Amino acid sequence: MPSRIARTSQISFGVALLLLGVWQISAALPRQLQSAIDLDGKAIDPLQAAQGKTTVLIFVRTDCPISNRYAPLLQHLSETYASGSKFWLVYPDKKTSAREIRAHLAQYNYKISALRDPERVLVKRASATITPEAAVFDSQGRLLYHGRIDNWYEDASRARPAATTHELQNAVEAAINGKPVPLANASAVGCYIADLE
Amino acid sequence: MSASRKTFALFCAGFTIAAFCASGFLRAHTAPNTNSPEAHGVTFNRDIAPLVFRTCAPCHHPGEAGPFSLLTYGDVKSHARQIADVTQKRIMPPWLPEPSEWKLSDDLHLTAEEIALFHNWVEAGMPEGIPVDLPPAPHFNPGWHLGKPDLILHADSSFEVPASGSDVYWNFIFRLPLEKTRWVKAIEIRPGERRLVHHANLIVDRSQSSRRQEKIPGSGFAGMELQIESEAFDPDGHFLFWKPGTIPEPEPRGMALRLDPRNDLVLNAHLQPSGKVEKIQPAIGIYFTDEAATKFPLLLQLENDRELDIPAGDENFVVMDEFVLPEAVSLLAIYPHAHYLCRDMLAQARFPSGETKTLLHISRWDLNWQAVFRYAAPIDIPAGTTVSMRYRYDNSASNPANPNTPPQRVMAGNRASDEMAHLWLQVLPQSRTGESEDPRRVLQESIARHHVENNPDDFEAHYNLAAMLQARGDLAPSIAHYQRALALRPGDATVENALGGAYLAAGELPQAIAHLSAAAKARADYFDPHYNLGLALATSGQFPQAIVELRAAVKLRPQDADAEANLGGALAANGETQEAITHLRRALELNPQHALARENLEVLLKGTSKP
Repeated sequence: MPSRIARTSQISFGVALLLLGVWQISAALPRQLQSAIDLDGKAIDPLQAAQGKTTVLIFVRTDCPISNRYAPLLQHLSETYASGSKFWLVYPDKKTSAREIRAHLAQYNYKISALRDPERVLVKRASATITPEAAVFDSQGRLLYHGRIDNWYEDASRARPAATTHELQNAVEAAINGKPVPLANASAVGCYIADLE
Repeated sequence: MSASRKTFALFCAGFTIAAFCASGFLRAHTAPNTNSPEAHGVTFNRDIAPLVFRTCAPCHHPGEAGPFSLLTYGDVKSHARQIADVTQKRIMPPWLPEPSEWKLSDDLHLTAEEIALFHNWVEAGMPEGIPVDLPPAPHFNPGWHLGKPDLILHADSSFEVPASGSDVYWNFIFRLPLEKTRWVKAIEIRPGERRLVHHANLIVDRSQSSRRQEKIPGSGFAGMELQIESEAFDPDGHFLFWKPGTIPEPEPRGMALRLDPRNDLVLNAHLQPSGKVEKIQPAIGIYFTDEAATKFPLLLQLENDRELDIPAGDENFVVMDEFVLPEAVSLLAIYPHAHYLCRDMLAQARFPSGETKTLLHISRWDLNWQAVFRYAAPIDIPAGTTVSMRYRYDNSASNPANPNTPPQRVMAGNRASDEMAHLWLQVLPQSRTGESEDPRRVLQESIARHHVENNPDDFEAHYNLAAMLQARGDLAPSIAHYQRALALRPGDATVENALGGAYLAAGELPQAIAHLSAAAKARADYFDPHYNLGLALATSGQFPQAIVELRAAVKLRPQDADAEANLGGALAANGETQEAITHLRRALELNPQHALARENLEVLLKGTSKP
């Protein structure tokens, strides 16, 4: 039961405010939409599907150029850390169809599994506000890091020649090795999720 | 024999030019009235749409560079917070110059009041407003902006932009299929997939010198900055650039651009990987006019690359240059150029009255949004005015654009990780009466001299001054500067040829032959030294050797009437009359007005008609 799963994992965070937010939303929505869904329309909770691995959610948009420029790096990281982690691409835009997402994955050579999150269930769990933004959860579903992938983009139009800090990679490595994550949050640069309907 | 052919090099840094949303679409924008009682009731239709249509939509519409469209209430609402944020940070619309007393064309600067409107609108919950307030949505022509061009050229091959990595600079050569000189009133550049192309600059290559950089003809070549050789008396006068949102504007009347047979156009494109492998294949559309140019603008370059030696970590490194204009000019446009470390650019004019005015100030330089800035009305600059540039560089780790981590010492150079300090001015010399000397020549020579004084060890400075002196017949100082250039770049074919040409013009045949031979040897496929050497040898009476060189010249350029005529002349002088006639006739086929070929042919035909 997707709705139940969502709530229990929220509770396990012990973040009361977050739970309240989900509760309010879910109260207004049909029960079957209280979860992210895969491209076949099936409800999925990636944190429950973690099977002892670290979970990495990457929030993206098909029309966000900054998200898109990260595609090769994200695919690379997902492969590098495949043994200890599971990456998911999360599309929070209600209006983007599964078909459009499939086309987007093919275009950018993504092999990472994709989820739609039209009700922002995962967005809230990850405290995500921007695309692209990453969230790293431990195998218990605890949020260890959320924020930028790295510091490649200084602002929406200004990118460094190459990133000099690598927050996502550091967080994933720490999580896999059971070490403390060096930084819990670093602001991301990109498109606001709140602008989406 | 005709005068020797001189190839001059005016090395111009490739203008990698651009910015963003250009082309004021709805010029008369509504000034927001923040004092009115309605100010707190900001609506899309009344307050936001006029701003968005004018400054965002030119790029943010289908087919253009903007990653999403901003043409409707829904479009704008779904990016509202982002728009409020990026306008507040002055990231968008991308417009580098600070406001000044000189109005610039297509100014995208937003006032503080305009920026506040976006914020207030988001705060108010993004109300749409009443339909009657909504201005008509801008219309963008999906095809060629100026209608079907007279000539459309596609790049010979596409270039594959990798999925990731740092920015890429690629050059496409368009070989013009012109059979005679044409005048151009506009060129539209269609760079291909616009999301990938940050900006592009089109440069006229009158001597096909860029072709040498292609590994396979038509393949294009890499490089951020170009070196183009051109005739000294044919200085560049036009900026031909593309940036996202550009709607091409025809050149002002009388300022058409000349294109000749054998000219190439080189498109220098700054490309940014998008996350997937993509191919781009630019095209250009050329619009001709029958009106030959009557006004000849000139591009003047201030620069101070020599002093660019920026210590690692230095966040306040300043270079300057200043030049006193020997002629009165109208300043039409300005193009500042530096790479990633530059932060602040200031261009000023100190008038003979003592008054100083700022021509351009950019306090947040960003290479990605560079552009040619055109003044809405030309600025009159009297002779004796000092034009200056002052650029500040930040080579510290706190400059996010720094290409080196950790920072490293950076000097001038053509790579993206090197630096530059250039300021180009497009000036139109004001007409004078009673003087015969072309004011462009005075300006060019003056600035060439300025560069030599600034950079006594700079190859290009010496070369260009030498070329200028040679063109006006001052052969002894010209030879001296060519020799300095040659000492700085020993064996360089271009300078060997030019020096040989200067000696030939001075009548010093042994030196001419020595340097021209060196040039021909250094680059076997280089037409000019073969031709010039042929003339030098013929002038010194060495006809068999002259014939060898002129044959080589004809082989390299079979359509060149001068080469054919001179080969005919040398053959005739060597007693090879029948073949001489063949080549003289060929010269006349290529150019029926060729006086030398005609005279020589007449002499030969008279001779052969006698028994």
